[in-house]
Amino acid sequence: MRFAVAFMASLLPVLAHAHDGVTHGSDAEAAAHQAEAAVANLPLGAPTELPFDLGGQFELVDHTGSARSEADPDGHSQLLFFGYANCPSICAVAMPMMAELTDALLTDGFKVRPVMVTIDPERDTVVNMGPELEKLHEDFVGLTGSDDQLAHVYDLFQISREKVFDDPEYGAVYAHGSHIYLLDDQGKVLTLIPPILGVERAQKIVANYLDSDIAQ
Amino acid sequence: MKRLSILLAVMGAAASPTYAAEQGERIEIKGELIDTWCYFSGVMGGPDAVVGSAHHTCALWCSAGGIPVGLLGEDGKVYMVLKIDGDDTSASGDTLLSLASHQIEADGLYYERDGLNYIVVENVVSDNGITYRNHEDYGPVPGFALPEPKE
Repeated sequence: MRFAVAFMASLLPVLAHAHDGVTHGSDAEAAAHQAEAAVANLPLGAPTELPFDLGGQFELVDHTGSARSEADPDGHSQLLFFGYANCPSICAVAMPMMAELTDALLTDGFKVRPVMVTIDPERDTVVNMGPELEKLHEDFVGLTGSDDQLAHVYDLFQISREKVFDDPEYGAVYAHGSHIYLLDDQGKVLTLIPPILGVERAQKIVANYLDSDIAQ
Repeated sequence: MKRLSILLAVMGAAASPTYAAEQGERIEIKGELIDTWCYFSGVMGGPDAVVGSAHHTCALWCSAGGIPVGLLGEDGKVYMVLKIDGDDTSASGDTLLSLASHQIEADGLYYERDGLNYIVVENVVSDNGITYRNHEDYGPVPGFALPEPKE
């Protein structure tokens, strides 16, 4: 568990300094910021249809207990990730990034919904997901379901769910999906976003799709 | 500046003003399977320190925790691994854990998308294990990645 705590602590400088452009606590932080800024300006190219077979129809239950499909009930585009709402480890990279990205996109006029599908329904329940996700973003939606329902969604997105070890303090730890998926309001997968990207770069990728015919 | 140069090189797909063909292009790449978060963020150290044997333990943690695995090719580019031979689902499965930090030769389908390089590894042609023994220079990176001894 020491690793997870130290790892999360190590993320703080990078996340905190991600957009300041002024002062950095170390050469590594400065380099990370400089690199992120450089990547953010690289050309994206025109959006194209996803060349991989990902996504499809599903039925799950959200953190309020309501049924939810791949389509967003309010007609918003979606950022979808497979992980833990109650994560003791390093989901600290992807989900806070999704929250920050959601806010950044709003400044561009794009309302997107951050959505997490649990890979551990024993840990993430309808009752306990909401408060944890709300700490990240008030619009975050948590999804769970029966084993069959979840297995179907994992198959649709080719998500691995393998137990890699048992943490003596937190229980089973599963390997799980790595990317954030951009879905349109109907649940069609538009592209994928590695969570290692800076928010600025991810923002440009998402906006590029939401501005395009592919997302219409 | 060195890290910036490397990053620009590995994101080389973006140098092309338009996208390549939408169908995957078959390629063979030799390189190391790396932890992309630590490699790109710089949070654990420079790019020479967050690869190889020095970073192996952290790479395992990151892969298990949902950090995308990348293939750092001999061409200097990082290919985000979407799927790998023997892993019937997408990246971060057990196969990738067993190959973390290994030098491999991969045969697969390459895609350029959104300025990034992606690869679906259909066949691990060769697995040479961990060949970059940089722990002798750097020790474990980061030091706290080592498991705590049992009390």
